[in-house]
Formats: sequence, C-alpha cells, structure tokens
Amino acid sequence: MSLLEVNNLSIDYITGEGTLRAVDDVSFSLEQGESLGLVGESGCGKTTLAKSMMRLLPDNGFIKAGEIIFKGDDIVKKDKEGIRKLRLRDIAMISQSAMNSLNPVHTVGDQLVEGIRAHSNATKAEARKRAEEVFEIIGLEAKRLNSYPHQMSGGMKQRAIIAMALSLNPSLIIADEPTTALDVVVQDKILKKITEIQEHIKSSMIFITHDISVVSELCESIIVMYAGRVMEKAKTEVFFKTPFHPYSLGLKNAFPSILDIGEELISIPGAPPNLMEEQVGCRFKARCPYRTERCQKDEPQLKQVEEGHFMACHYPERIGEFTEKASKRETWEAVRERLIDEGGDGI
Amino acid sequence: MLKYIARRIGIMLLMIVLISTMIFFLFRAIPGDPTAYVVDPSMPQEARELMLERYGLNDSKWKQYTIFIKDLMKLDFGDSFFYGRPVGQIIAERVPATLILMLSAMAVAYLIGVFGGAWMAWRRGTRMESVGITFALIFRSAPTFWVGLMAILVFATKFRWFPPQGMRTAGYTGETFKEVFLTLDFLKHLILPTIVSGLYFIATPLLTMRNSMLEVLSEDYIEMAHAKGLRENTILYRHAARNALLPVVTAGALFIGSAIGGQVLLEVVFSWPGLGREIVQAVTRHDYPLAQGAFIIISAIMMFMNLVADILYGILDPRISYE
Repeated sequence: MSLLEVNNLSIDYITGEGTLRAVDDVSFSLEQGESLGLVGESGCGKTTLAKSMMRLLPDNGFIKAGEIIFKGDDIVKKDKEGIRKLRLRDIAMISQSAMNSLNPVHTVGDQLVEGIRAHSNATKAEARKRAEEVFEIIGLEAKRLNSYPHQMSGGMKQRAIIAMALSLNPSLIIADEPTTALDVVVQDKILKKITEIQEHIKSSMIFITHDISVVSELCESIIVMYAGRVMEKAKTEVFFKTPFHPYSLGLKNAFPSILDIGEELISIPGAPPNLMEEQVGCRFKARCPYRTERCQKDEPQLKQVEEGHFMACHYPERIGEFTEKASKRETWEAVRERLIDEGGDGI
Repeated sequence: MLKYIARRIGIMLLMIVLISTMIFFLFRAIPGDPTAYVVDPSMPQEARELMLERYGLNDSKWKQYTIFIKDLMKLDFGDSFFYGRPVGQIIAERVPATLILMLSAMAVAYLIGVFGGAWMAWRRGTRMESVGITFALIFRSAPTFWVGLMAILVFATKFRWFPPQGMRTAGYTGETFKEVFLTLDFLKHLILPTIVSGLYFIATPLLTMRNSMLEVLSEDYIEMAHAKGLRENTILYRHAARNALLPVVTAGALFIGSAIGGQVLLEVVFSWPGLGREIVQAVTRHDYPLAQGAFIIISAIMMFMNLVADILYGILDPRISYE
C-alpha cells in the first residue's frame, strides 16, 4: 500500500469575483520513502495541492471532490481534532517563508518545544532535549534555542524550521519551496541536509518548487502541473531524458544546461489561463506550438505513455517531432506572434 | 536601558519647560484679564489696579515669566486667583474623581474591546462582526453629552436605577479619601458616567485589536502554528493575541495619560467634580495659575505615559531593545 494516495482531487477557491478551480482532478501516489518533486509556474496549484494534504487551505479554499488517502485514512473526511493530531507528527511542513514562519515574540526553542508537546506527553525538559537533538542534526548549536527569531540569520531560521518539521520523525514531509529566500550557497547546503535526513528517517517527501533543476538533483519522481492539472508525471531520470508534454519541453528549455553556457534561454511565451473562467480543451493550448483543432475542444486526459510515465497530451506519438522543434527558438517565436495576432501581449 | 530612560526623562524636562512657556504666553494672549470675571464693569479703576497689582499682573510679561519659571522649578504653581489657594492643592483634590471615572471607563472599554476585538477578527465576515463595528462607531461618533443626557433621561429619571448626577447624594459629606470614594453611594453615582464614557472609548481598543488581530492572523507564523498541530486556543491566545496586543497596549498607556484631563463634556453633563470641568472654568475665569498648572501636569503625565508605553513595548516585543 502506498503511504499517500491522492485520487481525483479538486480544490476551489471562492472569491468575490467568482469561483476559481485551483486544482482540478489531480491523482498521484507516493510510496514510503519516495521523494516527489512538484513543479509548475506560480499559481499552477502546487502549493494549494500541498496545503490540502494537511488541510491547511485558507478559509475560502474548499476540497470539492476526491480523496487523499494517508496511511489508509481519508484526510478529506477527518474531523478537526483528527487533522490536528496528524499535523507535525505524521505530516510536517517546511514552509515557503522561513523569514516569517517563526513567531517573533517567542524564542525558537519554545516554539519547537510547544510543537513537540502538542503531540505527546513529554515534559518540558524531555521536549527540550529532543529539540536540542534535532538542532544538532540540522547543524545548529543547542544554545540557539534560546534565541528569538530576529537574532538569527535567514539560513539559521530556515534550519530551525526544518528542525521543527523533523522533530517528531514524520512519515511525510511537505517542503514548499523551502529555500527560495536563501542565497544559492546556503540553498544547496540546506537542500542536501533535508534529503539526507529524509533518507535517514525514511520519510516520504513532496518537494514543491518552480526550479526543476533542484528536482533533478533531489527527487525520484516528478509531477509537472499547469493551471491546476497534472501535465506529466514520471520518474525523474526518465523525465529529464525524454519529457513528453510540450509544456515540459518548454520548461526544460527555460533552464540552463551546463553544456550550453552562454546561450540565451528560450522561454515559453504567454501566461497561464484565467482559472476563473471555465476551461475548454487543453489548458496549454494558448501557448502550445503544436496545438490542433482537437486541442481547442477536447481536454486531454492523463494517460500512460511508457511504464510509469504519464502525460496529458493528445499526441504522444508525435514526441519525436515535438522534441526536435522544441529546442528551436523559431518554434516559440511563432507562438509569440500567434499570441499577438490573437490580441494577447505575447510576453 | 537605564541610560535610555535617563535620556528620555532629560528630554521630558526640557519639553515641560517649553510647553510651560507656550502655555504661559498663550493664556496671556487671551483677551481680557482676571478682573473682568471677578468684578463687575462698574468697579472703580483704582480697585482694579489694586487687584492686578496683587496678582502681579502689572509687572512686565518678562518679569512675570521669570517668576513663573522660578516657581515652577520648585514645583510651585502659585495660588489660584479664584480660590485663593495653592493650585497644587486644588488639582490634587480634583484628580482622584477624574481618574476613578476615567480608569473605570477605560477598564470597561478595554476589557470588552480587547476580547471583543480578538473575537471579531476570529469571526470576520459574520453578521456579528458588522454589528459590533457599527455599535462601536455609533457611540464614538455620537456626541457624548447627548448620549449622557439620554442615559440620564432613561436610566436615572425614568427608571430611577441610578442617581442622575454628582458624585454623592446631596448632604453627604466625607473628608478622607475613604469616606468620599469607598462608599456604595459613590459606586452608584459612578456607574452611569462610566458606562457612557466607556461606550465612547470602546471603539479604540475594539477596532485596534480587531485590525491588528486580522493582520496577525494572516502572518505566516500563524499558519505555521496550525501546521504544527497546536490547539486552536493555543494559537488564538499564545500566538495571535499575544502579537496583536502590542499596539493596543501602547494605545492604552497613552490613554491613561490623556485620561487625567478627563472628559469635559461628560463631567459637565453628570456634574462630576473632576479636573476637566475645573480647567474649563479656570480658562473662562482667566485663572492663569490654575489653568497653567493643570495643563502642565497633564502634559507631564502624558509624556510620562508615552515613556511607559515605549518601555512596555520593549518588554512585550523582544525585537525592540533600548540599548
């Protein structure tokens, strides 16, 4: 049995201007010890998806359909207290903004101890001891527990957040762009540390990022999301060797390879669709260089193209042609011109 | 920290001298002089001169000013023209009545305001929240004297639940603090004005708390607290309210500072023998020493409470230090 199984999950945000479907019919599963990279542009629903695993959606966010089976129980159906017990102990989050995730008026140590004690009968001293242990694991001095957040650097705060997330050896770690606020050198160190510990305590991890190069380094499998839907899902090595979806091809272009330093990057013109509107056809149609009549009408479903490799495009058989064209600048320039012709701004 | 406080007190002393100077000349810029109030216009010129002479008002402004400042250094505010007694004494008599009323009103306003504000933020978007805001704003915008008169009309005159005015029933005389203030009779007189001014004050803590709570609730560390699986009450009080309270505490400390001046309209409506009413009368009577003394003391307390607020802030928020 998988540790986590997400089936046909849809999540809506109710806003003043209407309903926005942020996550639409997403399914995937995660094995014990597996690490999964969730990539996509800002606003593609990856953070919403991750938060729903802990039922941390904002007040106007609702799970409209689907189930999230964690260790055999459906998280969607759990009551408040059931969810509360699950958080941190079973599913822990390493959040996006380390800078602001610690309460400024309490010491870091108090905040760790408080989390540990919310899930156990540990005395203050025992919890404190555990906090010291995780601090050591993450590479912070125990005396730092007495610091207030403002007395620590960004990297330290991020480490403290990670220590907090690991304090109860959770079976699932959700890391939501854990290092975006840090400089590259610190970023690398911290990412290494996270995966090291994750492997050590044999927990699974969902790693959310818009930096696919990080995924290639850290994760065993990858899910590419676009406008609330899964576009492609594969083992990481397979994905980076042979991505299938036109969007994935475009994404790959947008990241520099060590082999062609100096080349100007090719970006995908256009912007994701407005999810307030009802989506007809493929969501990537406006920006796809290969779109056809069919893409305008039919929404492609996720289907298997190879063993363990899924993607949502009508034309898996044209992959050879797609890959070849995708590396050419003209292909994407044509999309830009088409967008301008259609009245868009072609950015 | 001590160095910081010493520096602040030094600045405060300088400010008091400046304020005293302004007050001194402002009062003398008001048309008319004390004799106009004390005597009728038909009073012979000689008598007027004599009186001005006695008050020292015939001296040059500069001379008057130097005497005033010299006395001030000795904390001597002079004698009231009207009462003929030391100003310090008169103010000391009036301050307890004002402070008791203001602090009771403040306690009511802050207790309801802080908890109500936190609750309103927690329940934002509900009908109860809009009712709460409207209610607070109505009493803030309605003229206090009107609300006071209506309260007297309804609760004192019609239902006879409370006495309509004053601080004690006519004929009652008390000399010591205990005899005057620690009686059931005083408490009965206190309730109505406390409620009326409490209602007026409530908007500040209620809306400050609500807004600052709303801001805090959207902070990442609140989400983190949820993600840690803490209980709702722990999040609400230990994490949210604890941070949201900061601006409310400052507002509260400053409020105590301004409370000493009392609420003039309220004191007039309820015939409350407080400092606010006394100041207004002192100004109309051209009772320079009394008015000056009262204003100087009010500004000194105001500045002192400002300092208290800053120190409190440093204690409540570890990010602020005065080293």
